[in-house]
Amino acid sequence: MKVLVVDDEPQIRRALRTSLEAHGYVVETVGTGDEGVVAAAGQHPELILLDLGLPDMDGTEVIKRVRAFSEVPIIVLSVREGQGDKVAALDAGADDYVTKPFGMEEVLARSRAALRRRGVGEPEAPSLSFGTLEVDLAKQLVTLDGEQLHLTPTEYSLLEALVTNPGKLLTHQWLLRRVWGQGYGTETTYLRTYIRALRKKLGDDASAPGMIVTEPGVGYRWIAETG
Amino acid sequence: MRVSDPVQDQISFPAVLVGVIAAACGAVLAILITREFEPDGAAGVAVAIFMLAVTVAAVSGGIWAGIIAALLSSVALPLIEHPGAGFQFEQFRDVIAAVVFLAIAAVVGLVVGNAAAERRRAGEREREARLLAFLSSKLLSGDLPDRVLDELVSVLLEPFALATCTVQVTLDGQEMSATAKREGVEPGGPTEIVPVVVASIPLGTLTTERPIKAKPFSRREHELLEAATRQAAVALDRARLDARARLAQLDAETNQLRAAMFSSVTHDLRTPLASIKAGVTSLLDTTTVHDAEQQRDLLLTILEETDRLNRLVGNILDLARIRAGALIPRRASTDVEEVAEAVVARMRPQLGTVLLDLQIADDLPEIPADPVQLDQVFTNLLENASRHSPPGGTVRIHVGRDDGAVRVRIADEGPGIPAAQREKVFEPFYRGREDPERPGSGLGLAIVRAIVTAHGGNIWIEETAAGGTAVVLDLPIEEGPA
Repeated sequence: MKVLVVDDEPQIRRALRTSLEAHGYVVETVGTGDEGVVAAAGQHPELILLDLGLPDMDGTEVIKRVRAFSEVPIIVLSVREGQGDKVAALDAGADDYVTKPFGMEEVLARSRAALRRRGVGEPEAPSLSFGTLEVDLAKQLVTLDGEQLHLTPTEYSLLEALVTNPGKLLTHQWLLRRVWGQGYGTETTYLRTYIRALRKKLGDDASAPGMIVTEPGVGYRWIAETG
Repeated sequence: MRVSDPVQDQISFPAVLVGVIAAACGAVLAILITREFEPDGAAGVAVAIFMLAVTVAAVSGGIWAGIIAALLSSVALPLIEHPGAGFQFEQFRDVIAAVVFLAIAAVVGLVVGNAAAERRRAGEREREARLLAFLSSKLLSGDLPDRVLDELVSVLLEPFALATCTVQVTLDGQEMSATAKREGVEPGGPTEIVPVVVASIPLGTLTTERPIKAKPFSRREHELLEAATRQAAVALDRARLDARARLAQLDAETNQLRAAMFSSVTHDLRTPLASIKAGVTSLLDTTTVHDAEQQRDLLLTILEETDRLNRLVGNILDLARIRAGALIPRRASTDVEEVAEAVVARMRPQLGTVLLDLQIADDLPEIPADPVQLDQVFTNLLENASRHSPPGGTVRIHVGRDDGAVRVRIADEGPGIPAAQREKVFEPFYRGREDPERPGSGLGLAIVRAIVTAHGGNIWIEETAAGGTAVVLDLPIEEGPA
């Protein structure tokens, strides 16, 4: 399993390399955006950890260039202050972010989740189950505790977007475009209304969520484990 | 309070008229009386009547009226006493009479004229004194320099019968000016320019202009204008010094704050660094062997201290951003409920035995707010409340509506804050009574207040029924001025 680390700080590169290698990953590290794009194209990593504050290129630009030829999962490493950059990076196609300074267990957890999604790819399984919740993607049927839930087409579409991207932070813009269509992107009030309705039907408490987590100002994440 | 010209003791048309009338009346009376007392017996009477006429003229018309009356009387007396003889001083007596008339006119006229002039001057002095007193009361009221200038020009307008009045000065390198205009009056009349000077340092000029075709400024008015300008200059100087003193005080306070910040930051940064370094060097030390539990303890300490350091750096950066005026909310339609729920969800696992109880009113409107900053408000307030909670205590969060605002109330079961310190807790680096095991940065509430204020909201501290602390904040539903 090969991981590409793009960060201009040698200390961070060293810490990530040591920890990731200890967990059995093969690690390649580079210090600039340019090298990152070249390595992504030439070495076919299965995961990229990308720092947004690179000296030569905006991290978002790196994501756009990589996305031109690869769907490899990208996890962004950003400082808390770079909220706007973070959202831009996610909108540009990053899968997730980890805030610096980060704990290694968090990086590893996010990496595993991203790799799992990649392994799943487009779900071949016609049905996904999360505890007592079952989503039949082929029949577009949702059951909770064995009882069928009556979802509106928009609610179902939103749920489908969430469950097929488990663990991934989905931005407002991404969800709006995916569920409502390309012309949408800023109508966060619609999104909130449907998320609330969906939570209610799924019996999920927003202040102690088991399925949908809110990231204020950014988006939502599906956290229920399959099985 | 008009300032009038002093009446000058010069020969004038009214004076001549008064003299002529008095002499004529005297002549008529003298003729009537001399006809009555034929022929010589009335000589003394005619003289007496003319003396009366001269006196009356001098009293009522001044010295020149008296002199005119005296001259006319001197001519009329011989004509009346020796009718038909033509004008001649036939007798030595007539010459004496003429001299006496003139003497009376002079003496009475001077005395009366002086008294009248004295009276007029007294009246003027009183008016001037009142003007200057009025000015000084207006000007020395401790107002700011621009206010002093405004007062000056508006106060001068009326008593000097001005069309416009403008003052321009340079104070501490800053140019300032003020202008007053009387409505419905066309300027373009006589103009007077007076320098504004303090301690022989010229500050600027005062320019006054009367309405077109108005009479020119008299010397007296010019002097009074100068006196008024001097007053204003003194007031300006005082206002300038006051402003400087205020700045200096502000500066001193800022320096004090900076010193407090510096020592606090130095201490707060060093403490976790010291723990981290101690832990790491201990683990790296090859001369001692730590068992697994000891290793874990040391590593947990390092982890906690790193988090603390990270929070502190984040807070310092936020505070720096606030100080630099860079804390501008990126407003979007935001659901306070959603933010509150998300923060509670995130914080719950980190709070140990402290419980979070979230109550949200139905049908809350969305508000124009920065969701990321609101997230920080809730995070800091919950961190703060849980830090001051006893083990097993509950932090109650209530989100409701109050008039035009969404009201958030976060109450803890801690020891409470004395009323006198409730405002202070929002100041940077203020620390209340806190557990030294769980220190805050002293910045959390300062950042919260800055964010709430930037959203046009209010924040304050209340006491709960059980004596704990409740932080209450209102966020306006309509976007208002920050």
